[in-house]
Amino acid sequence: MSISSPKPALEGLRILDLSQVAAGPYATMFLGFMGAEVIKIESLSRMDINRGKARPGPDDLRVYPNGDPGERPWNRTAHHVHRNINKQSLTIDLATDQGRELLLDLVKVCDVLVENYRGSVMDRLGLGYDVVSSQNPQLIYLKISSQGATGPEANYGSLGSTLEQTGGLASITGYEDGLPLLTNLVYPDPVVGILSFGALMTALRSRLKTGKGCLVDLSQREVTTMLLGESILDFSVTGRIAVTMENLHRDMSPHGVYPCLGEDMWVAIAVGTEDEWRGLCMALGDLELASDNRFCDSESRHANHNELDAIIALWTIEQDHYEAMHRLQSHGVPSAPVLNGNEVITDPHLESRGFWDVVDHPETGPYKQVTTPWLLSKSPRGIPRPAPGLGEHNHQLLTELLGLSEHEIADLITNGITGEIPKE
Amino acid sequence: MDNLLSDINVLDLSQGVSGPFCAKLLAGWGADVIKVEPPYTGDSCRSSKPFFQTIDHSQASALFSYINTSKKSVTLDPFIPSHAQAIMKLAQNCDVLIENFPPGYLTACGLGYSDIADSCHDLVYVSVTPFGQTGPYSAYKGSDLIAQAAGALMYTIGLPDRPPLKVGGEAALYTTGISAFSATTMAIYVKDTQGFGQHVDISAMEVMAVSQLYSSIYAQFGRPAARRGSNLVRAKDGWVSPGLETGVQESTWLKVCELIGKPELVNDSRFITQESRRANQDALLVVISDWAGRKPKEEIYHTLQSLRTITGYVATVEDLLMSQQFVDREFFKLVEGESLPNTIQPGAPYRIADNSWEISQAPRLGEHNEEILCQGLGYSMTELGLEVS
Repeated sequence: MSISSPKPALEGLRILDLSQVAAGPYATMFLGFMGAEVIKIESLSRMDINRGKARPGPDDLRVYPNGDPGERPWNRTAHHVHRNINKQSLTIDLATDQGRELLLDLVKVCDVLVENYRGSVMDRLGLGYDVVSSQNPQLIYLKISSQGATGPEANYGSLGSTLEQTGGLASITGYEDGLPLLTNLVYPDPVVGILSFGALMTALRSRLKTGKGCLVDLSQREVTTMLLGESILDFSVTGRIAVTMENLHRDMSPHGVYPCLGEDMWVAIAVGTEDEWRGLCMALGDLELASDNRFCDSESRHANHNELDAIIALWTIEQDHYEAMHRLQSHGVPSAPVLNGNEVITDPHLESRGFWDVVDHPETGPYKQVTTPWLLSKSPRGIPRPAPGLGEHNHQLLTELLGLSEHEIADLITNGITGEIPKE
Repeated sequence: MDNLLSDINVLDLSQGVSGPFCAKLLAGWGADVIKVEPPYTGDSCRSSKPFFQTIDHSQASALFSYINTSKKSVTLDPFIPSHAQAIMKLAQNCDVLIENFPPGYLTACGLGYSDIADSCHDLVYVSVTPFGQTGPYSAYKGSDLIAQAAGALMYTIGLPDRPPLKVGGEAALYTTGISAFSATTMAIYVKDTQGFGQHVDISAMEVMAVSQLYSSIYAQFGRPAARRGSNLVRAKDGWVSPGLETGVQESTWLKVCELIGKPELVNDSRFITQESRRANQDALLVVISDWAGRKPKEEIYHTLQSLRTITGYVATVEDLLMSQQFVDREFFKLVEGESLPNTIQPGAPYRIADNSWEISQAPRLGEHNEEILCQGLGYSMTELGLEVS
């Protein structure tokens, strides 16, 4: 079959996005990139936390471009601009009867509903799975919750920073002193966002076969725990409890980050085979090292890693971290510079693969946007649409999707059910 | 039983963690997965620590046992022409092929995407590599650590006066496998709805560049992200994050002051609002530490969560297996070993009614050679130069 003009992978799918913060919005951001229509629902009294405060104080300014909150701060925070790309914004106060009715009408014309509230919130709003699926039996309802839809902790609250604790990841992340550390980047959130996408794909496929929708029950804590499966299995058989081990690796040595020229610049090196070890010695120009008994195999290198790391650092400290990577890789040694946020957006490799999209957001000007963790040869991602202002698509969606009249919309605005200016 | 992917056949040529983890997730939802391993040596992951026994043998790896559940194993080397021909035959009966060789390697064996897609235009061909199929680093080698470095993840992890720190275990490789799973299921959905297969290109560096969540945007908005200390507080038997500085209702703070036996704090201006508690977070942590140090971490977690805070406790693998929440949801599964000890393993990554997660012991090396290569394709073991296992 020849494909003349590629169609977006998810063209024709409409997503009702009630999610907030990171995991849910990341999932729906990917859906938007792949061609789905994403309608982001917020209320004027409870915006997505990503939008920051309606009236930010002096301590809140770090999330705005150059610290400037502008006239409508809620439309220009880093998190909102970055995670809510490719979505349309519709404000509805779901705590009102009228707002709830509007949402139930929307459910009828959508394929997927995504939410990541505290476990019981949707039931409390009268919008639980049973209610919404009775409006649209073909609806796929993705419930991303802290702990899953059942169990004694089903209504517990969490953030990415607590999930990496309760899911076990913090217990194996840290320096050799054994003190657990957090990722600072709330690592479970992007992982859940990426997996949620696949969860929806399998549910959509199931709907193709059965003609019926379903509830997808996704526990963020369970997903986090999947990331340390081998340590669970090991404990279940041997009773060993996995602990922090800095940047050391169970099988590979040397394995770590080494200082380079410049302030806080580092190169990562991971030697897994004897060929790679010899390659490292060649790259360092130190062939005696290759025959040094202290480092003759992976076990010895692991046992004597402090001495070895010091020898490697003597070389790296005089190298540019990118140059170090190219030299090491030319000798077959797995390595990479430890890139920071400024460097990763100008990295020539990501540049050549078109990883970043340059997006011109009306509030912030052009910036480089994270895209998708995949490239499909025949289903390219769509042209990005900047993250929407609060309520930017109210009029369009209320008229075109729900068939409301100008008069009815004016009423909703008067009653504070929809609008574009957040309440305090 | 009909499962989410029970009509999908997968040929898994990948080794290590990320490609095989993608195939495991597909197998869990019912896909029939044939794992192709190098004859005699097997997937390199079979010799990865931790081992169940001290003696190294081909099935002692906990890592391998975790990421290869519910698969069948055959031994073929794509570099040997007769084996490449057998792989081609297997691929022609598959919906999905997963591989993580260096870019171009399978093309040299006559098994590149276009070689196979010529005759199977609806094949989903998934390549999972450190840096992707194109670009200046495409031939470079990678690992979990390398991905976390190149993707700007680890730069901000760890303490300001210490080197950047990676997320523990094989987090980047698992996340790369999860990305491959999501992309593969999307490509299957496209095949179902639009009628064609395609080549899926997964780069671990890009998976990490997606996972860095805000370093890249903060850098552009003028406030680069940096390493910083954690807000964990020492409990009697471990660590907790009390979660009292954000997202806490005002009435909760009154209850917390009672709880920790310091009712006078209610009037302390440093802690009177969410904003002030956040601004005086260090002082708050000192106050809480006094109390927390005398209590078990899980008790603190449950007590404070019952006041609707967002509290966490650092669970070890032992704590995870004891967690009442996990027990109640039957998240962990007992996998009975035939040639191995019984293991307890994480179960379904998400749940959908009427579909159940499939999890059976990882295969022995070449366990299904006879069934798949001889009975299925009509080869003899001698013809392929393989000894009968």
